[in-house]
Amino acid sequence: MAEWAGASESDLKEAEAELLPEGRSGLRIKGWLVESSKRPILGSLAREELEKELGVSHLPEMVFGGSALCLLHEGSGVKLHYNAVDALKGWMEEALPPVEVPAAAKWKFRSKPSQQVILDYDYTFTTPYSGSETLDTEPEKTNPEEYHRLYWQECDEQIDLTVLSKKEPILFYNEVVLYEDELADNGVSLLTVKVRVMPSGWFLLLRYWLRVDGVLMRLRDTRVYCAFSSDDKEMPVIIREICWREATIHSLSTKGFPSDSTAYMDPNLISQKLPIIKHKSQRLILSRSAD
Amino acid sequence: MSDLDRQIEQLKRCEPLKESEVKALCLKAMEILVEESNVQRVDAPVTGIFFLPFSMAAIVVFKLYNVFDIICGDIHGQFYDMKELFKVGGDCPKTNYLFLGDFVDRGFYSVETFLLLLALKVRYPDRITLIRGNHESRQITQVYGFYDECLRKYGSVNVWRYCTDIFDYLSLSALIENKIFSVHGGLSPAITTLDQIRTIDRKQEVPHDGAMCDLLWSDPEDVDGWGLSPRGAGFLFGGNVVTSFNHANNIDYICRAHQLVMEGYKWMFNNQIVTVWSAPNYCYRCGNVAAILELDENLNKQFRVFEAAPHESRGVPSKKPAPDYFL
Repeated sequence: MAEWAGASESDLKEAEAELLPEGRSGLRIKGWLVESSKRPILGSLAREELEKELGVSHLPEMVFGGSALCLLHEGSGVKLHYNAVDALKGWMEEALPPVEVPAAAKWKFRSKPSQQVILDYDYTFTTPYSGSETLDTEPEKTNPEEYHRLYWQECDEQIDLTVLSKKEPILFYNEVVLYEDELADNGVSLLTVKVRVMPSGWFLLLRYWLRVDGVLMRLRDTRVYCAFSSDDKEMPVIIREICWREATIHSLSTKGFPSDSTAYMDPNLISQKLPIIKHKSQRLILSRSAD
Repeated sequence: MSDLDRQIEQLKRCEPLKESEVKALCLKAMEILVEESNVQRVDAPVTGIFFLPFSMAAIVVFKLYNVFDIICGDIHGQFYDMKELFKVGGDCPKTNYLFLGDFVDRGFYSVETFLLLLALKVRYPDRITLIRGNHESRQITQVYGFYDECLRKYGSVNVWRYCTDIFDYLSLSALIENKIFSVHGGLSPAITTLDQIRTIDRKQEVPHDGAMCDLLWSDPEDVDGWGLSPRGAGFLFGGNVVTSFNHANNIDYICRAHQLVMEGYKWMFNNQIVTVWSAPNYCYRCGNVAAILELDENLNKQFRVFEAAPHESRGVPSKKPAPDYFL
């Protein structure tokens, strides 16, 4: 892949965007600070600490614990961030039962060692995580009793794909891997987030992708979109769509699709073949209430 | 210069051989590998002696130089990183090498990596030992890269066939000076003695279960006795299993690979087993360091840690990926 030298200075200037200084990756635009950070996988000590913190004995073999994508709206203090630790908390809460690989059928007939423990955690690290949101700075209070709450509310609005299909210049783009596991060479489990910032708004895709060879595929996408508004101070309109798709290899092969894993390496190419099992649109709400 | 030496030089430049040369090389390798035991014996290095050309009448002047055995973990087609490994460990044949498998898949240069190791094996059979990893398999290489790479580089799958046929001949483990047992994955509940490994008929595709499968696939884990992976296939073995095995076979420790370790190596169970990982910046994005285990003639050990070659990242998605109008 050719190296991208970054957005042109004229495009940045026209959009009134300012890249972050050398050593940081991101930009400031229309009241937003968008920043990504990429770090190596956690070392053994950091892994042990995280295991202790979460109270688990297994983590994905590659945890990019220091990597993140962060979008801060400086006027309202609304901050959206995407990181491995929060995603792993989601995995622990969901705690799906483990998926057996095809060889398991044969293994049931193997003679058992006298002392055998069967591990039963969800080794696919499936997570319902669709991002973290916080209020970085408390907005000004009109009433001392007032408190602020940030939450997602179901809505009928959807992300406008025609706007996103326009070939506006991309001012900032990055993809950050949050965690990854090779399932001991039985497939892949991968959580990534990618973002693109254009003169009219930003768009991101947080994707959990799972392929257990010969068994199933699972795709959990969260798309988030924000169109820049003319007023930097007011609460921005942020819409997200959560779409979960899932299919067993068996169900795909009965529909005439191939059953070998090599046909399912790239989630972009096969997502349409996977039936949707959950879909919802939400809008981010900042409520002010006084008890 | 012999054809083989010329091929080694060519492979060292990361230039693949012609299909006919691969075929001939694999045939020669097969003759050597078929003679090896499932527990291939590796001797401790013998200190070399240089005789200096100028010596006084009655005094023989010589100088001792150090030689080492080096144990390496997974490489995964990261050719330029393997060249870093040879820089750190020293050239073969001056240094003896033991590679614990997983030469192929995931990286960009599985063909060149495996062929260079195989050519060295044919050229210096007593100086380099290659044992089989779980990726040296027809089934796994079709999913994780080696098959596609052969098809891309040669336009046919013949080279993949020659190589995977050779995989069936690779030994399953090695024993250094009767004291260090080396294997790709780990132990098996079907194996308590090394003699039981010696009786396995290894010349086959890696099976989905049984002792041969376990040696290439299992992992150490903090459990009492044996653990079964939540996948329903794959054994995990605890510290007490390692203690019994080491005691029964009178070995000091087990050296294995198979699992990514950020620091390049990791001891477990009171230094009874060590994992060695030799693919730095694994998959060109993990940012880990790699290690090799160096042993001197008294089996004193030293881990040598190294980083990825700057060159390896060529042709790899750069840090600033091209923007993508994803939806």
